[in-house]
Amino acid sequence: MLFSSIPFLYYFLPLVLICYFAAPKKLKNAVLFVFSLIFYAWGEPLYVFLMAASISLAWGFGLLMERAKAQKTKKIFMIISVVISFAFLCYFKYADFFISNFNAATGLSIPLLRVALPVGISFYTFQIASYTIDVYRGTAAAKRNIIDFGTYVVLFPQLIAGPIVRYKDIAQQLESRTHSLEKTAYGIQRFCIGLGKKVLFANTLGELGTVFRESGEQTVLFYWMYAVSFALQIYFDFSGYSDMAIGLGRIFGFTFLENFDFPFISKSVTEFWRRWHMSLGSWFRDYVYIPLGGNRVSKPRWFLNIFVVWFLTGFWHGADWQFIVWGVFYGTLLVIEKLWLLKKLEKLPSVIGHLYVIFVTLIGFTVFNSVNIGGAIADLKGMFGLSGLPFVNEETVYYLKSYALVLIAGAVLSTPVIKNLLRKMNETPLGAKIISFAKPVGFAAVLIIVTGYLVDGSFNPFLYFRF
Amino acid sequence: MKKKTEYIVTVVLMAVLIFGFFAFAVLKPADDFSESERRPLDKFPKLSFSTVLKGDFMDGFESYTLDQFPLRDAFRSVKAMARYYLFGLSDNNDLYFADGHVAKLDFPVDEKSLEYAVQRFNELYSAYMEGKANKVVFSMVPDKGFYLGEKNGYPVMDYEFMANYFKENLSFAEHADITGLLSVDDYYKADTHWQQQNITEVSEKLLSLLGAKSFEDLEEVLATENFHGVYYGQSALPLPAEKILYLTNAKLEAMTVYNYETGKTTGIYDFEKLESKDPYEFYLSGAASLLEVINPAGESGKHLIIFRDSFGSSVAPLLMNDYEKITLIDTRYIAPALIGEYVDFEGADVLMLYSSLILNDAYIFKK
Repeated sequence: MLFSSIPFLYYFLPLVLICYFAAPKKLKNAVLFVFSLIFYAWGEPLYVFLMAASISLAWGFGLLMERAKAQKTKKIFMIISVVISFAFLCYFKYADFFISNFNAATGLSIPLLRVALPVGISFYTFQIASYTIDVYRGTAAAKRNIIDFGTYVVLFPQLIAGPIVRYKDIAQQLESRTHSLEKTAYGIQRFCIGLGKKVLFANTLGELGTVFRESGEQTVLFYWMYAVSFALQIYFDFSGYSDMAIGLGRIFGFTFLENFDFPFISKSVTEFWRRWHMSLGSWFRDYVYIPLGGNRVSKPRWFLNIFVVWFLTGFWHGADWQFIVWGVFYGTLLVIEKLWLLKKLEKLPSVIGHLYVIFVTLIGFTVFNSVNIGGAIADLKGMFGLSGLPFVNEETVYYLKSYALVLIAGAVLSTPVIKNLLRKMNETPLGAKIISFAKPVGFAAVLIIVTGYLVDGSFNPFLYFRF
Repeated sequence: MKKKTEYIVTVVLMAVLIFGFFAFAVLKPADDFSESERRPLDKFPKLSFSTVLKGDFMDGFESYTLDQFPLRDAFRSVKAMARYYLFGLSDNNDLYFADGHVAKLDFPVDEKSLEYAVQRFNELYSAYMEGKANKVVFSMVPDKGFYLGEKNGYPVMDYEFMANYFKENLSFAEHADITGLLSVDDYYKADTHWQQQNITEVSEKLLSLLGAKSFEDLEEVLATENFHGVYYGQSALPLPAEKILYLTNAKLEAMTVYNYETGKTTGIYDFEKLESKDPYEFYLSGAASLLEVINPAGESGKHLIIFRDSFGSSVAPLLMNDYEKITLIDTRYIAPALIGEYVDFEGADVLMLYSSLILNDAYIFKK
């Protein structure tokens, strides 16, 4: 089920809110657990059993680890639990990738499995792994109550697209959390911001991408429009979903960590990745990069660690070579920055850093969104005028004019300009009064407009579902 | 406003919207049909263990909630207005609004479609018309976008290319260029079609090429003032209703129309259709694979065969003065191989009249 859908907004959400707030404190997690399973089963009726198996195994191994006296035994349980979780992920997400590449390399024709990817498996596998590792490390206690643990894994606000919530960050909140008018109002506001980002911007920009792909008359300028619109689309899509998750979490008393911090204002790729999908970055840092030795090793080993992390980051996003190339592309840029570029950029006017980040981001996301490596090369050739396409034509001009306001508004809203403006306005008594009146009305208007879009439109993909 | 008041207003407003529409949606009886979109609406899906397990129930429920959502048309208008006026987008659902008209974005020319159409027309000619038909005239009806698009900054099909393509590839026919005889105001504002009372010059041009005379005593009569065209629902814009006028005289009123599919005989104008989902079907009762019109006052033995789409329904009555029999064939609904069983082309005049919208998406023609 999508947050940005009529069944969620006007059926599931009111029902879960009624049941949750009517339930006594000790049953609140159970309510969330049951509704989260319904939420998941809505799109994946059969995979809910896979989810239940994953939860049960991780919960069981958590208890075994806690009871084990010898560190070696604990380690064995940890490894078994993590391997089982990742085995599910590998089977469903990567098996066909490995088979097809093996076939290509050997000339064999082993049939592909063609199993459907369970929605959100990349996210909840990482959450389960974080729990297992945290319990093994002793930074978190094993959860005795399977309902509470299940609620952590399956919690619907962040189940299918993150942010990747680390067990130790919300362990306390699972036991005891507070609800307040302020939290609810904040949660609603944050949810509406995410809903608006997703439906009004990401979906509209996605339509431009579809128009581009279906066009028989592409041009160099159209390629660049597509690259810009996709970069903005994926930002609004994913950060919008994170906003909705954080907002819903707050309504139910949880505080999830932020996942995006205006990444497009970065002046280096290093900074970009501190602002983009922060929960994934910190997961890889804590569970892969640091255990590999981080930067406290020799330089060649350090760079190898970086490449391993970025290879895995790319591979996490999709079982295809363009995702690996995309990850390694960023790994390479990060190594170059660490070697010398970062220092150079610091000395140059900041606009150079911004332009550099925007340029590599457009290139990176174009590769990311291509159908395969061949498609990525074709797209890049199109962007750089190497496909013999005209620079511009009537169709490109039409779509440039049509989407100009959305692209400009999207670009502005992807920076903190409006946020800063509102903050300054809020510092004056009159400004604060205006904002105070305008906010609730504005968010209600967003919900009404979004409802119009959802009722009328069928174009409502969610990019990170495929991960 | 104090912070606490702001929080209360936020929570109350959202609660009213979310719980209000939840209750409204649950209590509202399901509608059968959307008048504005001219389509049946989805009903509550079958709930069973099997439909849930397969996910069919969930898919059905999502469609049901979209179709049956309270104030659906009003919400669709909100979306259309937001796209046009808030986000400055030039079109909504591939429709644009300019000079008071709604038109469809249809570009570029699909050459494969033209090729497909030409193949079908040449096959028809070889099978039925060659050595039999008296005259064959071909004409393409320009979509209203031809008159609206360019001056309002919308991309349009290359009509000149299309016309030349048909001229070059349908050498058996005489080609009638009617683009200069029309303007955008000859079309309904919220419908794809032209208005019958505005196309007499077109009918005269076609008849002059066919060598027949037009009516001279047609009277303009109001059929309805409450016509919402097909683009009204699709665009979701709050557009006013339009009038359907029709041209008639004693000769036309005496004609009978036989529908081979239904076996029914009606008049040229079908007043029952004014109450149907598409009142434009008032003309010749709408889409039909094969119609035969008998004109008791026509010249004995004179036969006109029209290969047509829906544009032909309103212009056909204006072409009937001289002819004793007029056959209307729509190859979207009848396979060409079957036509010979019902229609004799010997000595007949043939008109092939198609909208550019159909020709650019000709794959619907049967082989």
